[in-house]
Parts: sequence; structure tokens; C-alpha cells
Amino acid sequence: MPVNETLRILRTVRYDAKHYSLFLQAGRVGPATLPGQFAMLQAGDGLRPYLRRAFSVADVATLAGVPCIEFVVRVVGVGTEALGRFAEGTPIPVLGPLGTPFPIDDLRVSDRVALVAGGIGLAPLVLLARRLAERGVPADLFYGGRNESEVLKRPDFERLLGAPRCRYATDDGSLGRRGLVTDLLQAALDAGTTYRRVFACGPQAMFRTLAALLARTGTDASFALESEMACGFGVCLGCVVPGRDGRFLTVCKEGPCLPPSAIDWGAV
Amino acid sequence: MNAGDVDLTARLGPLVLKNPVATASGTFGYGLEFTDYVSLASLGAITVKGLSLRPCLGNPPPRICETDAGMLNAIGLQNIGVEAFLTEKLPELHARGATVIANVWGDTEDEFRSVVERIGDDPRVAAIELNVSCPNVVKGGMVFGNDPAALGALVSAVRPLARRPLIVKLSPNVTDIVACARAAVDAGADVLSLINTLVGLAIDLETREPKIGFTTGGLSGPAIRPVAVRMVWEVRRALPGVPLFGIGGIETAENVVEFLIAGADAVQVGTASFRDPGLAGRLVREVAEWCARHGVQRSSDLVGTLKTRPRAEHRYA
Repeated sequence: MPVNETLRILRTVRYDAKHYSLFLQAGRVGPATLPGQFAMLQAGDGLRPYLRRAFSVADVATLAGVPCIEFVVRVVGVGTEALGRFAEGTPIPVLGPLGTPFPIDDLRVSDRVALVAGGIGLAPLVLLARRLAERGVPADLFYGGRNESEVLKRPDFERLLGAPRCRYATDDGSLGRRGLVTDLLQAALDAGTTYRRVFACGPQAMFRTLAALLARTGTDASFALESEMACGFGVCLGCVVPGRDGRFLTVCKEGPCLPPSAIDWGAV
Repeated sequence: MNAGDVDLTARLGPLVLKNPVATASGTFGYGLEFTDYVSLASLGAITVKGLSLRPCLGNPPPRICETDAGMLNAIGLQNIGVEAFLTEKLPELHARGATVIANVWGDTEDEFRSVVERIGDDPRVAAIELNVSCPNVVKGGMVFGNDPAALGALVSAVRPLARRPLIVKLSPNVTDIVACARAAVDAGADVLSLINTLVGLAIDLETREPKIGFTTGGLSGPAIRPVAVRMVWEVRRALPGVPLFGIGGIETAENVVEFLIAGADAVQVGTASFRDPGLAGRLVREVAEWCARHGVQRSSDLVGTLKTRPRAEHRYA
């Protein structure tokens, strides 16, 4: 059940001018969060930004012994800019956890899964990697970014999944293979690797390529979608994506984690 | 005086509410989405998402964008249809003690009539609110709401079939809000709600495309509040006996009081419920506290108490 509470900032860690991790007190939201779920954060009580912003919960862990909830943020506008400027201790209104999580309850130790991240789409995959590791489900990471410095949380992924299982692609070749993350996955599939399920989060173009690739191979998958939303709990109906059945699916409630086969990619 | 001693009853003709804080259609789903955050029974009323005769899929995305102190939306009246509402949502709303206002719309007069007829005299519906003012569909609401004659004709056609108190929600996208208000009242409206969203446009400078798929959208949020307060005041002044719901950018108890002073008998909280789903419930308490602090025994004593000064003619130096 979602909680509407105010949580204090424990720490803000900057990676570069555009990216940071925001650590909040875990409150009641943290322990209740499943991988793939998100929270709505209010950046200040002013009128700009006016609406809360939706962020995937990146991780639920501890910071110097204090239970915390982590969000990995890319600065894209007034909300993400404001949220990164607050001092330690600033209270942030938080609504969460929200949305449909990644389906993992049926996975076993004998299964093998893939995690595919594009850019800031790494965010929900950290907590997913943590939960999979706890269950002993082997997972390969395929993570693409513009360059090495935009590939975030590498130590976390490599600790949770094992470094040999983490593969990278960058636009400029500064880390891993030069090219697209979907090429990495394609190569693995071509080499005969099969996955019980593929979990992915990234930009629209990545989703589109990946959906086609996975449909061809008949691989089960769950995509954590992103959309602008006003409420986060199924009321404003602003965040919808076109579904295969002709309906519109709410990213906030029916998603964010949806099978790519449910979405009409031609209409997105 | 304590907040608990304040009488918050709001009387809007045949519709009597336990307090003047209701929620606005399109911002409160079917009410049940909010039960984790607010006790529905504690609110003056909840107004559900606009219901049509058949389920409606709504507009293709993108449907919303944030603007300064507000947002634009063009959802396109997506809803589950009146039948599903009555069978799947209303029983639980009723069991939870909610005072339910059913907002309804249609593309044609016949569709409006059919939805209203379907609700009939269901006592679980406290009132019916006609949406004649949605700016976000090609046909539908605003065709009626922009023209006093068309509005009057629609309300006259629906009135004989409405067996619950009838509210008409007015569009602000008109030259003369009073003419529309008068047309609705003359045709038999019991209560007026104002305002719906103001038509706006936001542009993505990089693509030079509208930020919203429908091109234009309805502006809501604190940005529109002064316009809404002004229109409530104008209608109140012209039609002093007509009960009014004030709507537009309400965020605080002070905002509620401002609408009451302008002439609203009650208010509907809209877009702010997206930002904070628990807000409407808190406003009920905070309005009572405001009244107690100011020695106001009945919140209805505030209604229409605006003191205006005579407007001076301009002078040249």
C-alpha cells in the first residue's frame, strides 16, 4: 500500500554535472518497495516545479547504518534540477511505492535472466539486481551509455551480479564495446545464450529495438517504462501508452513494468 | 472558539453538504483511488471522472505537460462509462459513506439525456453535474458550453430527465460567463460549478511542436485561480440566489475562504489532488481552523461577503 510521507535527504552524491544520487530516509516507503516500482517526489513547496516527479527507486539499503532509499537522477528540467540542489536534512514529500513491479516471484536459481539498461534506465535495475542476487538467480547485465562517465553504479552492479556478468557498450567506446546495448544482447543471443526473462529500462529507441529483437526470439520480457505523469496513482490518466488491445495503458498503475508485447510500438 | 465548534454545512439549493470542500471531476478518479490517503466520508462531496454512455478511450498521448504554477491536459474524457461506474464503483463509494456527484457528458444531446436517464433517481448519487465545458475533445462538451443559447437548449432537454439535483459546470472560455450562467439557470440548473479549465498552448521549442498531442489543452492549477475567483464573483453578483461551486487552483484553506467570500457556497479541489492526494481531507480541517481563528461560527457566513469599493473613473494628469 502506498504511503504519503515526508522523508529527509540523507545525502546527495554528484557523479557529474548531469547526474546524481539522492539518498532519502527509508521511512515506510523504502521497506515496502519492490524492484521496478517508483515514487513521486515533490521538489520544494513552491509553484515551480508544480507537480511531483516520478522516479524509479534505484535501491533500498543503508547509508552509514541508516536505512535509506536511493534515487539516481539525470537533470532534464526544472524538477530534477531543483531536487539536486537541496541541502542534507531537507524534508521531501514522497508518495510511494507505486506501480506494478518487475515480475520475479516465479524465478528460480536454475533460471538465467538478463538486465538491459540504457542511460539513466539503470535506475530500477540496481534494486532488481539486489533482489535477484539475494535469491541466487543468475543475471547478466547489458548496460549502454554515452561514455564511461555516464555509466553509473558500476561497482554496485559488479558486486551484486559478479563483474564477469556485467557487459557495457558506449557511444564512444570509452567503456566496453562501441555501439548500442541492444547489439550486446543480440550478440549474446546469437552465441546461443537463452534467457528466461529480460528486464529492461531505457530510452524509447532502445525499447523499440529490444521489443522487436525479443519478439523474434520469443523471449519473455518486462520493460520499466517512463512517462510524464501528474499523479502517479492512476487518476490523471496523463501517462498512458497505446496498448496492443487498442486501449491506453497507464504507465503509473498498469506499468511501469509491462511486457513489451502489451504495447503497440507502432503507435508509441 | 474551537475548530470543532465551527458549523461547516454548505447548502446549495437541494444539495446539502457536510462541509464546503468537494473534489473536482477529472482530478479524483472514481474516488476509490484515494482511499489510502483520505477518508471519502470526511469530504463535502467527491465528483467523479466525467461519465459517458459508453466507455471512452480518450486521446492519444502526450496528454499532459507542466506549466508555471499549473499544467495543461488533454486527456479526452477517458472513462469507464456510466454502466460500469454504477455497477463497479458506486456500491463501494456508497459503502464508504462518500457523497457522490456524478459528472456526465455526451457528444450529442441524446447522449447527455441517456446518461442522465441511466442514473435516474439512484439515491447513492447526491447530484448530477453536466460537463458542458470540456475543451479537449473534437465533439462533446464545449460545443454546448461556449454558447448561451446552445447551453440553455441542452439543459432544458436534460432537466426533465434529471431526478437528482442538477449542477451545470461552466466553461471559462467565453466572453460573458454571466450570460452562460443565466442560460443554465433559466433552463433549470439547480447549482452552477465554475470554472472548468482555460484553453492553453505550450510549445516544445526544439521540435516546434505542441507539447500536447491534441495541440491545445486545458490549463489548471494555481495559475488560473484569480480568473476563477473573478468569475465566481461576477456570477454571484448577477445571480445572487444561485448556489455555486467555485473551482480553480485551490491549494490552501485560505484559497477556499477566498472563493467563499467571492460568492461560492462550496468549492471543488482539482489539480492539487495530483500533487498531494491527501490535500482535500486536510483542507476540511484547516477551513474549520481558519474559521475558529477568525471567530466565524458558520463557514456559510463567509459566502458572498466581498466588500467592493466603487470603481473610480480614470483621470488624466
